[in-house]
Amino acid sequence: MSAPVIEPTPAPSEPVIKRTRERLAGTVQAVGHRPHDIPRRRWESLAIFAFFAVAYIWFGYWLVVEMHVVSFETLDRLNRSLMVWHNDPAKLSAIGFDYPPLTTLLISPLTLVPALARSLAIVPVASALFAAGTMVILNSMLRRAQVLTALRYAVLLAVGANPLVLLYGAGGSRQFIWISLVMVAVGALFAWYVTADIRFIMISGLAFSVATLAGYSSLIWFAIGALMIGSVLSRLGARGEEIEGTTVGFAAPTAYVIALWTAFNLILLSNPFAWITDSSDAASSIGVEHFTFLELAQYTGQLVLYGAPLAIVVLPALIFTGFRSNGFALWLAVMLAASILAPAASVALGLTDAPMLMRNALLILLFAVIGAIWVARSSGTQNAVVSAILVALLIGSIPWTFHAMKTYRYQNLESSFAAAISTRESQEGARTPTGGTVGTASEQAMADFIRANISGKSTILTDNAQTYAVMLLTGDPALFFDRVDRSDGPWQEAAKDPAGYDVRYLLLSTDTSEDLLSQLYSDAVDGTDTLLPEVFSTPRYTLVGVTPDYQRPDSSSPAAPTPALDDTTSGGSVQ
Amino acid sequence: MTATIVASATRLTDGIDPELGLLLPEGFCRTFRVMPYAEVDGQLLVAAADVADPIVERVVDELITRPFVLVRHTVNEINGAIDAVYPPLEENLESPEARRARTQMAQMLTRSGLVTEDQLRTATLEYSRTGDPLGDILVSHGAISEDVLVAALSELHQLQRVGLTDFEPDTDVARALPEALAQELQVVPVARTGTEFLLAVARPLGREDLARVESALGKPVRQLLANRTDLDQLVQRVHAHHYAEIATRLVMETRPEESAHVVVSPTQKAFFVCALIVTVLVGVVWPTKTMIGLVALCSLAYLSVSIYKFRLTLRALGTHLEYDVTDEELADLDERILPIYTILVPLYKEAGIVPRLVRDMNALDYPKTRLDVKLLCEEDDVETIAKIQSMNLPPHFHLVVVPDSLPKTKPKACNYGLQLSKGKYCVIFDAEDRPDPDQLKKAFVTFTRVDRNVACVQAKLNHFNQDQNMLTAWFANEYSMHFELILPAMGASESPIPLGGTSNHFVTSTLRELGAWDPFNVTEDADLGIRLHREGYRTAMIDSTTLEEANSVVPNWIRQRSRWNKGYYQTWLVHMRNPFQLLSQVGLKGFLSFNLTMGSAFVLLLNPIFWALTTLYVFTQAGFIEQLFPGIVFYVASAMLFVGNFIFIYLNVAGSLQRGEFGITGTALLSPLYWGLMSLAAWKGFIQLFTNPFYWEKTEHGLDEEH
Repeated sequence: MSAPVIEPTPAPSEPVIKRTRERLAGTVQAVGHRPHDIPRRRWESLAIFAFFAVAYIWFGYWLVVEMHVVSFETLDRLNRSLMVWHNDPAKLSAIGFDYPPLTTLLISPLTLVPALARSLAIVPVASALFAAGTMVILNSMLRRAQVLTALRYAVLLAVGANPLVLLYGAGGSRQFIWISLVMVAVGALFAWYVTADIRFIMISGLAFSVATLAGYSSLIWFAIGALMIGSVLSRLGARGEEIEGTTVGFAAPTAYVIALWTAFNLILLSNPFAWITDSSDAASSIGVEHFTFLELAQYTGQLVLYGAPLAIVVLPALIFTGFRSNGFALWLAVMLAASILAPAASVALGLTDAPMLMRNALLILLFAVIGAIWVARSSGTQNAVVSAILVALLIGSIPWTFHAMKTYRYQNLESSFAAAISTRESQEGARTPTGGTVGTASEQAMADFIRANISGKSTILTDNAQTYAVMLLTGDPALFFDRVDRSDGPWQEAAKDPAGYDVRYLLLSTDTSEDLLSQLYSDAVDGTDTLLPEVFSTPRYTLVGVTPDYQRPDSSSPAAPTPALDDTTSGGSVQ
Repeated sequence: MTATIVASATRLTDGIDPELGLLLPEGFCRTFRVMPYAEVDGQLLVAAADVADPIVERVVDELITRPFVLVRHTVNEINGAIDAVYPPLEENLESPEARRARTQMAQMLTRSGLVTEDQLRTATLEYSRTGDPLGDILVSHGAISEDVLVAALSELHQLQRVGLTDFEPDTDVARALPEALAQELQVVPVARTGTEFLLAVARPLGREDLARVESALGKPVRQLLANRTDLDQLVQRVHAHHYAEIATRLVMETRPEESAHVVVSPTQKAFFVCALIVTVLVGVVWPTKTMIGLVALCSLAYLSVSIYKFRLTLRALGTHLEYDVTDEELADLDERILPIYTILVPLYKEAGIVPRLVRDMNALDYPKTRLDVKLLCEEDDVETIAKIQSMNLPPHFHLVVVPDSLPKTKPKACNYGLQLSKGKYCVIFDAEDRPDPDQLKKAFVTFTRVDRNVACVQAKLNHFNQDQNMLTAWFANEYSMHFELILPAMGASESPIPLGGTSNHFVTSTLRELGAWDPFNVTEDADLGIRLHREGYRTAMIDSTTLEEANSVVPNWIRQRSRWNKGYYQTWLVHMRNPFQLLSQVGLKGFLSFNLTMGSAFVLLLNPIFWALTTLYVFTQAGFIEQLFPGIVFYVASAMLFVGNFIFIYLNVAGSLQRGEFGITGTALLSPLYWGLMSLAAWKGFIQLFTNPFYWEKTEHGLDEEH
C-alpha cells in the first residue's frame, strides 16, 4: 500500500481563479468546442419557402374562392384580427380568450388592409406561410441528416403533396400555425443534438413558448423536450450546474408565457385556468360523444392507419435505433407516441369538443417524417436507402389518405376537400358527414348589401360571435356595434334599447341557438316583428331596421350573459 | 531520457534529416549550440558543441521526448548546420561580442554565487526564446536585484555607477536634454562640468544614441550606469509638470470639440431650451395630444433600442464573432518578435490589492523583459505609493506618481502614464483585474492579422465573484450579455464600440495621435471608442477574458453605475454637438448604432416612469393613462411590456449560456429587479451631470474577501 497523495491546499491569500480555458474544460456545450454545423443556405431556404407558400396559396385560392371549401373558424380569427386594427375603437382585446391568442395575433398583419381582409383570397395565406415554414424546417433537418439532395427534395414534395397537409396548409386552418412552431422547436432540438450548440436550446425554448400561445397542446412536446435535454446532457457527462442552467434556459420562455397568460385569465376572467377549461376546443366538450377505452384505442388506430400510416413503420424503427445507443431516436419515439396518444388523451380528459378529428393525424404524420429523417441519419451508409423508402411510403400514403378523407367519421372539411378535387365542382351548399353546410354565399350576399347601402360607425348592432363572417366580408368592423367595442355590459344595454344607442340596424343570425341578439329578437328573425322591418335577408342572416323611436316591448334580458371578453365562437368550424 | 556523450559514427557532415532538424527551435539551437540531425537505433543524435555542460543536457532533455545522445561537434560544424536548417536573419543572430558578454555575465554571476544553476538555466532558456539580455531576464525573474546587475554591467563595460535613490536633481541640468530623448533612451543629465555632462544611463548607450545625446546637449557626455527603477523615477520627477499639463489639457486644447470639459455646448443649450419651450407651449394648448406624442416618442425609443440589441444578440448567439488565437498558434509564436507591451494600471487608495496585482501581472504569459507595467498612483495616495516602494519590484514595474491636480480622474492618470509608455501596444487593467494569462499574446497576434485600421482590441470582461451574492450574479449576467453577445456583434458589424473600462489594447502611437483619453469624461473608455471610430479606426474583439471583481454592495454598485451612466450622457452630448459631422464621419449605420447604444442609458431614465404608469393603471384603471396609449402606441407599449421585457431577461440568460456560466442562468430570470437598481443609478448620474459633471465616483474594490 502506498502513502496517500495529499493535494496541496491553496493558502487563503492565493485562491484558485479559474481561467477561461479551465472553466470551460468540463462543459459539454462550450462555444467553439463543438462539431461544425451545416453551412447556412439562406437562398435555398427562401426558395423552398417561396415555392411552398406560392403553391399552397395558389391551391388554397382555388379551394377556398372557387370551390368554396372554407373553414368558418378561420373567418372568425380573421375577423378578430381585423377588429384589432380597424374596429372602432381598435382593440387588442378583440383577440379574446377562446382561441390561443397567437392564432389570431400572428395572422393579424394580413388584415392591416381592409380591402384585402374582406377578400377570401387571404384565407389560404393564413396557413400557407406556416406550412411553407414547416417545409423549410424539414429541409434543414434533412440537410443535417445528410440526405442526398434529390431525395431531400423528393421527401419535401411527397410531404407537401399529402392531402392532409394540402388541406390544412391551404385552407387557412390554425393547425399549421402551432404545428409549424412545434416543428421549429423540435428542429432546433434536432440541431442541438447534432451540434451541441446551446443557441439551439434557446431557439427551441422560444419556439415552444410561441407555440404554446398558438396551441396549448404544444406543452406536451415541450415537457418531453425538457426531459430529453436533461437526459441527453446527463448521458454526455455534463455537470449538474450545466444541466440545470440549460434546462432553465430552455424552459424559461414557456414558463413565462404560461404565467403571463394565466395572470391575464385571472385578472380579466377571474379564472386563472380558463385558457385550459374554457378554450374553444374544450368549452363545449361536455355533452360530446362518449367513448369507451376500446373505442378510443380503435379510433386512434384508425387515425394512424388512415391519416399517418408512415408512423406504423417509423415508431418501431425509432425504438429499434434507440436501443442501439441512439438516445435521440428514443426521445423522438416518445414524441411520436405522444402525438398518437394525444387525441385520445384529450377526449379522456374532456379537453376537446371535436374528438378524434382526422386533422390530428397531421401532427402524427410530421413527427413520423422527423423520426424517419433521424433513422436515415442514424443508418450511416444506408442513408440513401432509408430516404428512398421514406419517399416511397409518403407517395404511397397520398391516395390512401385521400380515399379515407371521403368517408372518415370524425372530420371537418376533409370530404368536401376530396369531393372538390375529385369533381372540380364548387362545394357551395354541400353537406359534410357531420351535418354542416359548406360555403359562404349567405355571408357574402349580406356583406355586399351592407357595403352597398349602409354607412356610419356603430350603426349595426350585432352579436359578433355569430356574425363574424359577415363583418369580415364587409371589411369594416367599425360599422358594427359589437360585443368588443365597449365590452359586454354596454352591448347588452344597447341590445335592450338599440334606438337609445343610435343603432339603425340589427344583424341577426337565423339560427337562434347561440346568437344572443337573435334570442332577444326572435320575432324579427322570423320576420313577424312589425316594428323591426326586414331590410335584407339571406338563408343564414336577417338585417332589420330600427327606427329612432323604437321601444322594445319586452325588456327581459338576453339569456346567459357572457363575461366581458369571453366572446363565444360559432361553436364549430362548419356552418 | 538517457543522454550519453559519444562520438558517433554518424556525423553532422553526413547530412541532417530535415524533419529532425526542426525538432528544436532556432533560438534554442543557437543559444545552446545544439542540432538534432539523425536517428540511429531508436536514439536521436543531437550535435552539441559543449557536451560537458550539464545545462545543455538538461534543457535538451526537457524539450525532446525521445531517447537521445549528445554527440560532440565543433562550433563551426553546428553553426553551419543551424544555418542550413534555419537560414540566418541578421536581426536574430547574436554577435560574437554579445555572446562573449553574455557568457561573461553568466560566469560572473554563477562564480560569485549570485545565481544558481537552475536560475541560470531558466534565464538562458528564456534568452533562447526572446534574445533579451540575460541580466535583464535574471532581474525580471527576481534572481538578482537591479543593483547587482548594474554592478556587473559596470564591471563588464568599465563604467562608473551613480546612485539616484535620494538624488535631488538640478532641474536646469536635468532638463537640458529634451524630454522625448530622455524618455526614449532612459537617460538624465545629472551634473555638468566645464567640459562635459554627466549622464545617468540605464544601459551603456550605443554610438549613434550617444551622438544624439551629445548633439542635443551641445557637449560631450560621460555615462554613469544607474538603477533603472531609480532612473525612471528621476525622469518622472524632472518632467512631471510637462506630463501633468499634457495629461490634463491635450484633448481640451487640441480637440476642444471632442472634450467633455464643457458639458453642454452653447448650441445644444439653445436647442434644448427651445425644445422645452415648444413642448411646454404645445402642452398648454393640446395637453393630451402632447402627452400622447411624448409617450409615443418614448415608446419608439424603447422599441428601437430593444430591437437593436436583440438583433445584435441574435447575430452573436452561438457563433464566434470575436477573433480567436488557438493554443497551437500561441505555442508556435516566435517570442523574439514580441514587442514591448505597456500595461497601465490606475490605482487609488488600493494599497491592499497591490500584492495580488503584482502576482497577476507576473502570471501573464509574456516575457517580463518586454513588459512595461505602469502602476499609476495619485500623489496624495501616500499609502499605495509606500506599499509599492516597499515591495522593491523588478524594473518592469514602474511606479508612476501623478501630481495632484483637477480633474482627479482615471483618464488623466492614464494619459500621464501613456507619456511614459515604452510599448508598441498598451493596455489598461484595473487593480483587481485578472486577465487570461495569454491575453497579451492573443492581442498581439490579433493586431498582426486584422486590417491596418484596427487600432484597438477589446478583450471580454467578466467577474470572478459572481457567486458572492445576487448583485454580483446579476452583474455577471449583464456582462455576459454585453461582452459575449453585444460587443462581438458590434465589432463584427464595424459599429462604433463603447470600449469596456479595462482590457482594451491599443496601438500606442495611434492612441497618442488621437490625444488619448478625455480626462473630463467619466466614461473615457466609451468616449475613446467613439472617437477612434470617428477617425476611421476600428475596434476588434478577442476571445480572451479578464475577470474583475463585481461590485457586491448596493451603494457602491450604484456609485459606480451612476458614473457610467453620467459618462454615457456626457459622451452622447459631446458627439452630438454636431450631428451632421458625426453622420458624415461614421455613416448612417454608425450614427444609428451610436445613438441606440447611448440611448440605452436614456431608456433607463424612462423605466421608472412607465413602471409607475403601469402599476397605477393596474390598481386604479385611471382613464387618463388609457388616453395616453391610444391604438398603435398601446400596441407598441404592450409589446415592449410583455414581449420586450421578457426578451431582455432572456438575453441575460442567453449571455450566460453562451459564456458557459450555467450556474447563474436562474438569477438572470430575476433581472427586472436589477433594472430597478440600474434606473436608480441612471437618475443619480443624470442629476449629477448638472450638479457635479466631472466628479469621479470611485469604486471601492476588495469587497470580496474570499477572492
